[in-house]
Amino acid sequence: MSELPEYVRIVEEVFDKYKDKEFLYVGKRIQRWDAIEKVKGRILFTADFAKYYRNAVFVYSVRTKYAHAKIKSIDISEAQRYPGVLRVITAKDIPGVNDVGYVIPDQPLLVSDKARYIGDIIALIVAEDPNVAKEAGELIKVDYEKLPVITDPLQVIDLRTLKEKEHPLIHEERGSDIVAHFKIRKGDIKKAFSEADVIVEGEYSTPFQEHAYMEPEAAIALPEADGGVTIIATTQCPFDVRKAVAKVLGITQNKVRVIVPAVGGGFGGKEDVANELGAKAALAALMTGRPAVVIHSREESIIGHSKRHPMRAWYRHAAKRDGTLLGVEANIVFDTGAYASLGPFVAWRATVHATGPYKVEAARVDTLSVYTNNVYAGAFRGFGCPQTAFAVESQMDALAEELGMDPVDLRLKNILREGDRTVHGQLLTKDHGVGLEEAIRKAVEASKWYEKRKLFSKQSGILRKGIGIALLWHGNSIGVEGADYSSATLIINRDGSITFRVGLIDMGQGSQWGMVLIASEILGVPPSYFRIEQPDTAATPDSGPTVASRSTVMGGAAVVNAAYKLRQRLNKVASTLLGCDPDDVEIRAPDVYCRSNPEKKVSWSDVVEQSFWLGIPLQEFGYFRAPPAEWDEETGQGAPYITYTFGAIIAEVTVDLETGGVKVDRMVTAYDIGKVINRVGVELHAEGGAIQGLGYALMEEVVHNKDAYVMNANLSTYYIPTIHDVPDEIIPIFVEAKYRRGPFGAKGLGEPSINGIAPAIVNAVSHATGLRFHSIPLTPEKVYMALKKAGKTPF
Amino acid sequence: MSVIPREEWDKYPDIEISLNVNGKDYKVKVKPYERLLDVLRYKLGFTGVKEGCGRGECGACVVLMDGKLVPSCLVLAVRANGSKILTVEGLAPEGKLHAIQKALLDTYAVQCGFCFPGVILAIKALLDRNPNPTDEEIKDALSGQLCRCGSYLRFIKAVKLAAQYIREGKEYFDESEVRG
Repeated sequence: MSELPEYVRIVEEVFDKYKDKEFLYVGKRIQRWDAIEKVKGRILFTADFAKYYRNAVFVYSVRTKYAHAKIKSIDISEAQRYPGVLRVITAKDIPGVNDVGYVIPDQPLLVSDKARYIGDIIALIVAEDPNVAKEAGELIKVDYEKLPVITDPLQVIDLRTLKEKEHPLIHEERGSDIVAHFKIRKGDIKKAFSEADVIVEGEYSTPFQEHAYMEPEAAIALPEADGGVTIIATTQCPFDVRKAVAKVLGITQNKVRVIVPAVGGGFGGKEDVANELGAKAALAALMTGRPAVVIHSREESIIGHSKRHPMRAWYRHAAKRDGTLLGVEANIVFDTGAYASLGPFVAWRATVHATGPYKVEAARVDTLSVYTNNVYAGAFRGFGCPQTAFAVESQMDALAEELGMDPVDLRLKNILREGDRTVHGQLLTKDHGVGLEEAIRKAVEASKWYEKRKLFSKQSGILRKGIGIALLWHGNSIGVEGADYSSATLIINRDGSITFRVGLIDMGQGSQWGMVLIASEILGVPPSYFRIEQPDTAATPDSGPTVASRSTVMGGAAVVNAAYKLRQRLNKVASTLLGCDPDDVEIRAPDVYCRSNPEKKVSWSDVVEQSFWLGIPLQEFGYFRAPPAEWDEETGQGAPYITYTFGAIIAEVTVDLETGGVKVDRMVTAYDIGKVINRVGVELHAEGGAIQGLGYALMEEVVHNKDAYVMNANLSTYYIPTIHDVPDEIIPIFVEAKYRRGPFGAKGLGEPSINGIAPAIVNAVSHATGLRFHSIPLTPEKVYMALKKAGKTPF
Repeated sequence: MSVIPREEWDKYPDIEISLNVNGKDYKVKVKPYERLLDVLRYKLGFTGVKEGCGRGECGACVVLMDGKLVPSCLVLAVRANGSKILTVEGLAPEGKLHAIQKALLDTYAVQCGFCFPGVILAIKALLDRNPNPTDEEIKDALSGQLCRCGSYLRFIKAVKLAAQYIREGKEYFDESEVRG
C-alpha cells in the first residue's frame, strides 16, 4: 500500500473517514448555483456574447455539394468581390496544420482536394453581415469530379467474414477504410458452442442518432495583440479546443485562450466539433483583426457535427438448459462516417462492454469501425454501449424465450457479482462496488415485474401492454483511451468566500455543482460560500475532457485532494485558537468549534484571517490520476476500467395493434452509482437519459439518401421526444455499492443513464406483441409492418 | 437561396419601428428582412430570447407579442411594429421571481437552461388563459417547447405548482429570499 501515490491515499482516507458519517451536503437535494440565473434568462451562452461586440465579423462555412468527390479547383474570385465580403478563407490560407481530427489526423478543417461527406467545408466567408456571408457562399465555384458514394458500412466490410470488400476507398491515403479493430478472445469458444444445449443467434442494427442539444454550436474569437486569440466557445473540452486551434494557427498553446460560458446541452456532441468552430472563428479573427462570430444554424449543426455510430452486429449466445451462459460470439461493425472522430475509442468501449454485465467464460468479439460517406460519428452519451446493449439484451430475452425462462431469472443466473471476473478477467472486489443484483431486485419490486409479466401475457383487444427488462454496465472514465487525470483549484479568499476552479464544464448536467458539494462537505462550508468560475484555459486547471461520466469520479477526486489538504491546515489553525486537538475541530461555517467543547466557538472568518496572518496558504491545487488501465490488444484481457456503474431498467409499454404506435407508460431505472453526491443531478440524469433513450428506441434516426445527403436535418423532420412522448412516470432508484477510490465512494451516471433504455423498451414491445425486433427505432411503420406480416393487425 | 444583388438591397432604407419590450418603449432601425429575434437579441440586448432552430420548430425563441405566444424567429421585425413584447427578462420586476420561475426552482427542473425562457413564456401564455390546467392541457401548451435534457415531467409539476401560487395570490417572490 505504501507505494500508492498520495492523491490516491487521500481519496481512500476520506472514503474511510466518511463511510459511516452523516452527510451535510453530499447526497442532499440542493439547488444548483446557476438555477436562478437560468430561470431569469440572465445566464449567457456563447452566442449571447455577440451582443457585446459592435465591430464583429461573421463567418459562414461553404460546404461541398457532393458527399464524395474530387475537388479539381476552387474559384473564390467572385465571392471575394461580393460587396460586404471582407475575406474568403480556403485551405491554402491556413498558417498551421489543416487538421481537426480528434483521435487520428484524418479530418481537414477546410478540404482542398477531396470531399468525403456532405458537411465538408470548402471555404469560409467572412463578412460584417451574416446574410452577406451566406449569399456570397453561392458564388464560390468548385470544379468537382463525383465519386461513387458509400452509405452502408456493409459495402466496406462483410459482417460475417469481417473482410474488407472491394470498394472505392474514401481515405485512400490510409490504404484501407477500416479505422479500428478491437477483439476479445477468452476461453474455448468452439467447445462452448459444441456443448451448448441452446444457441440463439441474431443480427441487430441501430441508427445514427443526433444529439439535438437545444443550443447549436457557436464560437466567438477575439484577436490578441501578440498574435494569439481568445475564444468563447460551446465545448465540453476547452483544453482540446486550445490544442486544436493552436495546431491550425501554427502557434503555441499558451497563446490560445478558451473560455466556456453556459453550455446548452452537449451529450458528447460538443467535443470535437468545437475544435472546428474554434479554429474557424480564430482564423477569421486573426485575418481581419476583428472579433469573429461563428454560429451554426440547426441544419449546419445536424449535418456538421458527430453522431451516434450506427451499429450492424451479428451475435450468437450459447447456454445450458438451466440458463447458464457458456459463450458469446459477436461481429460488430460501427459506421464512423467520413472521419474517425472518436470512433476508435467508441469501438473500444463497445468491445469492452460487448457481452453485457454477465459472467462469460468463453467469448470471441470483433468490433470494427469503418469509414463511409455519411456524416461522421463520434461521442454520444453511452459511447458505443447503447448499441451493444440493444443487441446483448435482445439476445438475453431471445434466450429466455428459447429456454422458457423468465427474463429476470435468466439474468439473475448470469450477472456479475462481487468476487466474479469480468469477460476481460478483471476481478471485481468490494472496493469496486458491485451492486447489480440489488439494482435488479429493487427494479423488479418497484415495477411489480412478476405480477405484470404474467398479467400482460394474457391480453386481447387493440391495445396491448408489455413489460421488459434490460441490464447495463458502464466502465467509469476513459480507461485506455488516454492519460486519465484531473485537477482542481480551491481558493479561500480573505472574506471567507471560496473561489472554485475546475476545467470540467457544465453542459446542464450539474457536474460542477457535484464537485462543490464534495468540497463543502470536506471543508464544512455551505455551498453558498462558493463561486464557480467558468472553465477558462487561462485560469482553470486542465482537468481533462468533460466526457465518459468522469466529472464526479475524476474531478471529484481532485477536489477531495484540494479540500482535504486545506481542511487539515485550517484544523490546525483553529485548534490553536480553540485549544483542542486538530482532529477535534469541527467546521460548520460560519461557526468553528471543538467537538469536545461545542460551546466555545470562533468564526470561519476568524480562522481564515488568522491563517492569512500566519502565512498559511489558503489556496490548494488538487490532482488525481486513475491507475493505468490494462488491455491486451490481441485477447482483450486485462482491467479496462477503474470501476463500473451497473443498472437495471424496466419499461412498461402499450402497443396499438391498429397503428403500430408504442406508448411508454412507465419506467423504473435502478442504478448502482456508488455514493450519490448530487442528488438532484442524478435524479435529473435518470429522467433525462430515459427520455433520450426513449427517442433512440422509438423515433430518432438521421436518414441519409443514396447520395449521402441528410434527409432530415432539422427538428421538424428529425424527431426528438416532446412532452407528449414522455412516460407518465419515471421512477429513479439508486443503489450505493461504493467505489473506494471515488469521492466518498461515488461512481458516474452521465452516460450509463441511456444504455439500457432502448433494449428495455424493445423487450417490452416484444412482450406485448409476441414478436422480436432486430432494429431500432421502433417507428409505428416498423411495428405495424411486423404485426401485419405476422397477421396480428386487425387490418 | 437566390442571390439578391447588393445594389438592390441598398434601395431599401432602414425602417424605424417602435416596440414596447417588457414595459419600456424603444425605437429601433431595422432592415426589411430582419427577424424580431435578432432585433431583440442583438439590437436591444434581450438574450434571454434564444435561437435553437430558426424555423419555429424548437420553441426556444418564443415571446409574448401582444399577449400571444409567437416564435420570434418567424416574425419580421417590421411586423412587430407598435406591439408589446414580453421576454423572460420582463416576467418579474427587478429583484423578484415570478411564480412560474419559483415553481421551476421548487421542482428542481433546471438543467442546461437553454429552453427555459421559451418554456417559461409558454407556461405564462397557458396560465393567462387557463389558471387551472389539466395534465393534458399542460402537455398541449408545451408540446412546441423542446427540452433535450428531459425536464418534461418536472415542467408538468411546475405548471401546477405555479398555478397554485398564483391562485393563492403569490405571483411574485423575493429573489434574495429564494436565494437564501
